[in-house]
Amino acid sequence: MSTLSLAAHRVISALASTALVQFALASVILLQAGSVLAGQEALDSSGKVASASPDLSARSLADRIDRILTASWAAEKVEPAPAADDAEFLRRIFLDLAGKIPSAGEARAFLDDPNPDKRHTLIEHLLSRATFPAHFGRTLRDLMVPGATNNLQLQILIPQFESWLRLRLTDDTSYDKIVAELLTFTTPANMNPRANPLGGEPSPALFYLFNERKPENLAASTARLFLGIQVECAQCHNHPFARWKREEFWSFTAFFGGIDSGQPQNIFAAVQERSTRQGIKIPGSETTVEPRLLDGTNPNWSTGDTNRAMLARWVTAGENPFFARATVNRIWAHFFGRGLVDPVDDLDESNPPSHPEILDELARQFGYHKFDFKFLIRAITTTRAYQLSSQTTHASQDDPRHFARMPLRSMTADQLFDSLAQATGLEQQPISPRGADAVRLNSPKAAFQSKFTDPGISRTEYQATILQALTLMNGQIVSDATSLSRSENLQAILEAPFLDSAGRIESLFLATLTRRPTTAELAKMQHYIDRTDSEFARKQALSDVFWALLNSVEFVLNH
Amino acid sequence: MNRSKLRSPNSGFRIPHSTLRTSRRELLRLGVAGVVGFSFSGWLESLADDTATHPARRRSCILLWMTGGPSQMDTFDLKPGHENGGPFKETQSSVAGIRISEHLPQLAQHMESLAIVRSMTSKEGDHGRATYLLRTGYLQQGPIRYPALGSLVAKELGSPESELPNFVSVAPNRLFNQAAYGPGFLGSQFAPLVVGDALFGVQQPGQQGDFNLKVDDLSPPTGLDTKHADDRLELWSWLEQDFLSRHATPSAVSHRTAYDRAVRMMRSEAAKAFQLDEEPAALRDAYGRNRFGQGCLMARRLVERGVPFVEVTLTGVANNQALGWDTHANNFDSVRRLSEVLDPAWSTLMEDLKSRGLLDSTLVVWMGEFGRTPKINPNQGRDHYPQAWSAVLAGGGIHGGQVIGRTTPDGMAVNDRPVSVPDLLATICVALGIDPRKQNMSEVGRPIRIVDKDAQPIKEVLT
Repeated sequence: MSTLSLAAHRVISALASTALVQFALASVILLQAGSVLAGQEALDSSGKVASASPDLSARSLADRIDRILTASWAAEKVEPAPAADDAEFLRRIFLDLAGKIPSAGEARAFLDDPNPDKRHTLIEHLLSRATFPAHFGRTLRDLMVPGATNNLQLQILIPQFESWLRLRLTDDTSYDKIVAELLTFTTPANMNPRANPLGGEPSPALFYLFNERKPENLAASTARLFLGIQVECAQCHNHPFARWKREEFWSFTAFFGGIDSGQPQNIFAAVQERSTRQGIKIPGSETTVEPRLLDGTNPNWSTGDTNRAMLARWVTAGENPFFARATVNRIWAHFFGRGLVDPVDDLDESNPPSHPEILDELARQFGYHKFDFKFLIRAITTTRAYQLSSQTTHASQDDPRHFARMPLRSMTADQLFDSLAQATGLEQQPISPRGADAVRLNSPKAAFQSKFTDPGISRTEYQATILQALTLMNGQIVSDATSLSRSENLQAILEAPFLDSAGRIESLFLATLTRRPTTAELAKMQHYIDRTDSEFARKQALSDVFWALLNSVEFVLNH
Repeated sequence: MNRSKLRSPNSGFRIPHSTLRTSRRELLRLGVAGVVGFSFSGWLESLADDTATHPARRRSCILLWMTGGPSQMDTFDLKPGHENGGPFKETQSSVAGIRISEHLPQLAQHMESLAIVRSMTSKEGDHGRATYLLRTGYLQQGPIRYPALGSLVAKELGSPESELPNFVSVAPNRLFNQAAYGPGFLGSQFAPLVVGDALFGVQQPGQQGDFNLKVDDLSPPTGLDTKHADDRLELWSWLEQDFLSRHATPSAVSHRTAYDRAVRMMRSEAAKAFQLDEEPAALRDAYGRNRFGQGCLMARRLVERGVPFVEVTLTGVANNQALGWDTHANNFDSVRRLSEVLDPAWSTLMEDLKSRGLLDSTLVVWMGEFGRTPKINPNQGRDHYPQAWSAVLAGGGIHGGQVIGRTTPDGMAVNDRPVSVPDLLATICVALGIDPRKQNMSEVGRPIRIVDKDAQPIKEVLT
């Protein structure tokens, strides 16, 4: 057995789905062949070449992405899925930009709107609503401090962190500035970090506590999050297959060497920067290394620079080849369930993008538009690719690297709870700029979310648990929502004098699945209701329809 | 092959042909994939190979999880006479020469089935980080979400067809680090079924009955008869099928599978495992009428029905102010109260398993996230201490009646046979017939071993 086929065998055995096997075999070969090309592409995205290409509008960028994808589909003989209809698009864009499904009223209004440009209008509307910074703040939080919501000690500081992100996103602060603020944060002298976190000032302090204020953890997180580079392995040893050597890791870590970690066990201790620049000692050796950037260059110090100010300037510089690429790749993954480079943390030469041209163009344009998230989001959500249906129409779409069909994506616990609340009329806490609604302990939302916590696997590899099934089938929220005596939402639909039973079924479909029932569905539901004889039994049957819809896979997934 | 030889590394035994072949294949596989620098250090790997493939070694594991970090000095490694020792006396166990706390008298009578590891050592003195380390075998760092031990075992030993879930967590207190209780990159299908979620899990004095040891939402809302439930499930199923026909993907199928399993469990005979009132009152009394005691009884009922991994958490007990074993103040009063719950529950579990012929196939593990300072603080408490502490292995796969390792007379350091956390977890795996070196694919596309490659199983405790 050759080396290559053994390696392929490993990939295959790691994949759960046999449908992906063929792709895996092909991709192993592609990976081998692609690594050389990827090196060139990385060069193409450096400042010099980039300055030659024009500044595109969001719509032109979307067109350019679609042209590249269309050409790749033709070359690979892929038949893309049909365009998503209005309802499918509506539900998807609400989940991706507002973090929850639309109400039945919003759905009806959009579906009945004859304006041909209504999708564009909706994207703009959703970007301007308070739900956008709230949802995107959570998205960035999950990115920057993954798993903090599950940690008792870190949880306390989540409202501060989320409200900081929300405020920045509300002000349209560009991402380079957000990241620079994060990287250079020190606890203000007049701030008592132990003060009630809910009353505490919005602050990125959580990032430091999450990384235990250890220079090596902060360096690894910074490289991974903002540069798409995994350097962790080099912390302890020279990895034979990775690019980064141990000395490079610690030289990069030295940028965080000025952080005072005098009280490592106290999560409330302030984050301070010692004023003097100094190197860091590699643990277990006598070698001290000076701060050095990951591209191998020495920092270009300015007077008064702290280590971290220097680092932040380099990370977020327009000519940094890593920052824009790593960021656009993550944002792409937010909307497509997987990155152009996947895993998203690994923008290494050995892991080339599926579409290098798209990655480069997005990165270039993101830089031109001053790292403006909304520009990027407008472009991505306007693409034909984003607006493809999730329905399986051809086997060639099964390879996720083609982006020829929108994959089914699992919701975050936040998205699911908020969508459930939306569909059932559960009272929702208003979005607060101070992030008070981010508090989780001891609320029904916390209890629900503990069962729907993200397992940390890819969004496109959703796996339901028995406990989740039990919660939605028999639990309080759905039971109350489908109870004839307790659910006001259901009452309203059942009692509305202007609705016949078809109208009531339609309302339930719009409230849950954001679409009208098909003819077959309507007939099936009608039959279910009509087989009963009493008025009460008919109402009960309608509540059963509601229950079945809330428990359906179509409700639980983003598609 | 002759297993008794395996216990002695110096007996000069030869690796049998079949084992060698397996190991070479493994070596090749890993080497070619470029995954690891493979160290082939001889017989331990062979031991793992042999036990992992032995058909008779299908086992279950009951983990008794001691939230907060139990005081080794007042349970399994007493230092009577030393100023660090505190007021507790030792009691002689059923095995000559092994003595444990006077507050664990019934358990002491099962010493022939118990192996005490007195030389546990780690560097993590923070609840959240140490909880993660002990429960997953790895430090929490970087983007990888490591699976809890229960999820790893469920994947190796569980059946996707079983009526009951393959990992059940009874009365967990996940406050210190919720991520340490999840399936990590293995995915939700290996998530624990939680019984009696105890966020602040303190048992109220005088609380009776099943102590809220319930599977949340296992029963439909009251008033829903089977016919009605079937009707709406049929409606649900029709909708589900419709969506699946248009979206034939594993994600969509997984939803249907979870519902099928949930409904199957709701209606199964096996779900009676959760009905403790089927047990004789005298036995329930013997386990102790408290969450932990009844949880141990439930663990036996689950293991009896083939569940491969059950964990029972001892967290709050009546009149104990500390959060579990986190006894920074009034350590001795708290540990005595906790021991009075632990002792009858654990010893009755041993007895019960033995009388049903389950002890040989059930590994019982006792551990918390770290130990406590030998030095007594001014509040009569003991603080976090990861340098030297104890864990206990018992039952199936374990050569009982022995003590592994030793601490110094003041309890401050391990001075014989240090055992790391990965060593302990590798030992648990081998005792269960699982190869700890086996790899699972992580979410970052890198294969991760069940237990870190440097881990050395404690060979002398394995049968």
